[in-house]
Amino acid sequence: MEKNDLLRLKNIVGKKNVKTDPADLYVYGSDSSVHSARSWAVVRPENTGQVQEIMAFANKEKIPVVTRGAGSGMCGQTVPVRGGITLDMKRMNKILEINPSDVFCRVQPGVVDDDLNHALKPFGVFYPPTPASSRIATIGGEIGNNASGVRSVKYGATRDSVLGMKVVLPDGSLVTLGARTRVEATGYQLHKLIVGSEGTLGVVVEATLSFVPIPKFRCLGMANFDRLEDAGAAIADIMASGVVPSMLELVDSVAIKAVNKTMDLGLPEVEAVLLYEADAMVKEAVDHEISAMQEVCKNHGGTGLTSSFDPKERARIFLGRKKLFPALSKFSDILSSTSLADDMAVPYSKMAETARTIHEIAERNNIIMTAYGHCGSGCMHTKILMEPTRQDQWESARKAVAEIYDYVRSVKGTTSAEHGIGISKASAFKAEKSDSLDLMRNIKKAFDPNNILNPGKLMDAHEDWVTATDLRYTVA
Amino acid sequence: METRPFETKHLDKWRSNLDSCIRCGYCYEHCPVFKDTRWESNAPRAKMIMVYGLLAGKLEPSTYISDKLSSCFYCGRCNAACSSGVPLTDIITDAKRDFQGTGFETPGTTTGTNTDCALCLACARACPHEARDFINGKIVTDTVKCQSCGICVDICPNQAVATNLSYGTDRSSLNREISTFLEQETAKAIVFGCNWSYYPDLQSSVMDPAEELEYKILINMCGGRLEKPLLLEPLLQNAWGVLVACCPDGDCEHDGNLKAKIHVAGLRELLKEMDIEEDRIQLVQVAHGDKTGFQAAIDTFMENLNKLGPLNHR
Ligand SMILES: Cc1cc2nc3c(=O)[nH]c(=O)nc-3n(C[C@H](O)[C@H](O)[C@H](O)COP(=O)(O)OP(=O)(O)OC[C@H]3O[C@@H](n4cnc5c(N)ncnc54)[C@H](O)[C@@H]3O)c2cc1C
Ligand code: SF4
Repeated sequence: MEKNDLLRLKNIVGKKNVKTDPADLYVYGSDSSVHSARSWAVVRPENTGQVQEIMAFANKEKIPVVTRGAGSGMCGQTVPVRGGITLDMKRMNKILEINPSDVFCRVQPGVVDDDLNHALKPFGVFYPPTPASSRIATIGGEIGNNASGVRSVKYGATRDSVLGMKVVLPDGSLVTLGARTRVEATGYQLHKLIVGSEGTLGVVVEATLSFVPIPKFRCLGMANFDRLEDAGAAIADIMASGVVPSMLELVDSVAIKAVNKTMDLGLPEVEAVLLYEADAMVKEAVDHEISAMQEVCKNHGGTGLTSSFDPKERARIFLGRKKLFPALSKFSDILSSTSLADDMAVPYSKMAETARTIHEIAERNNIIMTAYGHCGSGCMHTKILMEPTRQDQWESARKAVAEIYDYVRSVKGTTSAEHGIGISKASAFKAEKSDSLDLMRNIKKAFDPNNILNPGKLMDAHEDWVTATDLRYTVA
Repeated sequence: METRPFETKHLDKWRSNLDSCIRCGYCYEHCPVFKDTRWESNAPRAKMIMVYGLLAGKLEPSTYISDKLSSCFYCGRCNAACSSGVPLTDIITDAKRDFQGTGFETPGTTTGTNTDCALCLACARACPHEARDFINGKIVTDTVKCQSCGICVDICPNQAVATNLSYGTDRSSLNREISTFLEQETAKAIVFGCNWSYYPDLQSSVMDPAEELEYKILINMCGGRLEKPLLLEPLLQNAWGVLVACCPDGDCEHDGNLKAKIHVAGLRELLKEMDIEEDRIQLVQVAHGDKTGFQAAIDTFMENLNKLGPLNHR
């Protein structure tokens, strides 16, 4: 980047809000994915006007801009593959309005999910999409990825909670999309299009979000299954039974082993565990849903059925699932838990088969993979445990990832449930959406004719994720 | 500054731990250095990424990086939050060792001593990390051993010791925050929260308009380091009251909570002598992680304070 360009940026946001030290660029060049690349400058705007000025300038000079929240994306969404400006939104962190009577709140994009929920709590309401990373994930990043979480089975993903937004377009103009009302049939729902667009269409500078009442009663149950297929059948039956769980999670045997190995929780070494939760304003409603789910589990050979309303006991039951990430990371000294083939969604009837297929593909390719996820929303997560310094392991990972997404397409599943596409899932995404890619490219062009916003992602991403960028690991 | 070729003698052993870091960022939520600057490069995750970059030969060692790695209060919140059991503060110490071994001398958050030092050596005796020594006629801090705990700052009778980079935790920054908050019309109280507790407030976001808040939680590095003048400052600026939160008995490594108790008790006495309700200053001991308990304590304090009313209208 030319000296004059930096001067211009410093004039807009102030000298101390622009960084170009190689260390800063290296840090901001990675996220929670396997990728790494460097932008030319990290720039922190404080308000909408500054974002507009930055975009107008970048558009004129055709400098790429990668918008970044907390940088917790798992697929390289904020890795600046073509350099340019990393636009760090963490200074735009104000909760602007909480309006209980009209049931919406307005926030700036850098507001952290947990903070928003903390602020909403005194009003007896919560913002439900909440990913597991809610302690750091920003609303802007959740919008970018269409994030969801354990309770999305009942309350929906980010897209379902976003009523409207203000967006700065690549040319620096500001548009107001959506509304503040629960329903809207006023032309194209462009705010819904921005959700999940991974920072490729515009920079969200304000979001209007809906919220829901915090239920008075919550009960969490657990069932063990000797056969994965039985757990799968139970999931499909629960979802077909008319019950609306507020959480329905699957944990597979690899995950159970990892948790037991690293933290002595004494989980039963079965093929699968299901965690199911119901919530409501009256206890009887919860009792009804929980017993219906327990009945289904029992019918499918579920054992060790327990459930509790008590928050402490619920936390104990959920601990194995909660500790899954650290357990996988600590599984072995030489294996690293990489964010690859990290998520997908499949029809309920295919949950068990998907988990089984993931295990088979892993074994065939000499890596370890686990299968777990928010199965109530059809979402399945995996992690690849591998030696990241060995080139042959990356070859195996490449093959395994391709085989998994071939399978997902064959059962009419979809490439991403909630983590998005970024770089590492781009080839699977392109294969799945082959007949609408041109349409998506045209939409991108209409918003961003100079292709400056997060270039090299989604349709524009490299076919081979392994060589698309530097890997964050040192491969021998 | 003369530097030698960078050697990663102490850092080498951490390669596989750094590979196991999943870069989730969970470690930066409560980091006081991150919270003050809100730059990711100051967060614990960034420190791990920088060390990784150095080991992988992707980053050149620099004073800039050395300074970032020396900026740590060793509160250990990152270690506790880590998804992957990465021993962050141990890695940071070894990074400081390797930088020091290579000739980089960056003070970061470690403490320095100014010319007011009377050479009483109280700090050297009190330092739990054996980081302060009397060398060639002056007190010298070993920047590797120093864990920025601030006991020396607290103990020095001449106020000759200060943290080099304080990231908003020093007296003048706290005073600034007090003044800014108390300018607001609805402001009534200052709550001093110890960084070691999970305080029940917004971590990384702010309410707007902020004027509606009645109290503000100011994070400090230890209740024991809040001297009486700082605790009195809000009352001098017309606050209705001050709440000091610190760890329960036995939980503080360096008895900061006992010191806080003594300070608060002394000030309550003083208020009484001045015919001011002593309950305007209170101390609460909050167990680590007990957000709910902390919020309940604040609520009770505020309820009581609202009964007492403003200080200047008595
Ligand atoms: C341990 C762990 C657990 C996770 N669990 C979940 C989970 O349960 N569910 C889930 O959905 N995800 C999960 N994630 C993935 C990720 O954390 C979430 O998707 C999160 O919402 C990303 O938020 P962020 O602020 O980090 O966004 P970033 O990673 O910074 O950005 C994400 C995308 O949004 C874009 N973006 C950011 N801000 C803006 C803006 N203002 N305007 C326009 N575009 C913007 C970026 O360009 C990027 O494309 C997890 C990640 C980790 C590391
Ligand atoms: S919490 Fe642990 S795993 Fe996550 S980024 Fe920090 S050091 Fe890495």
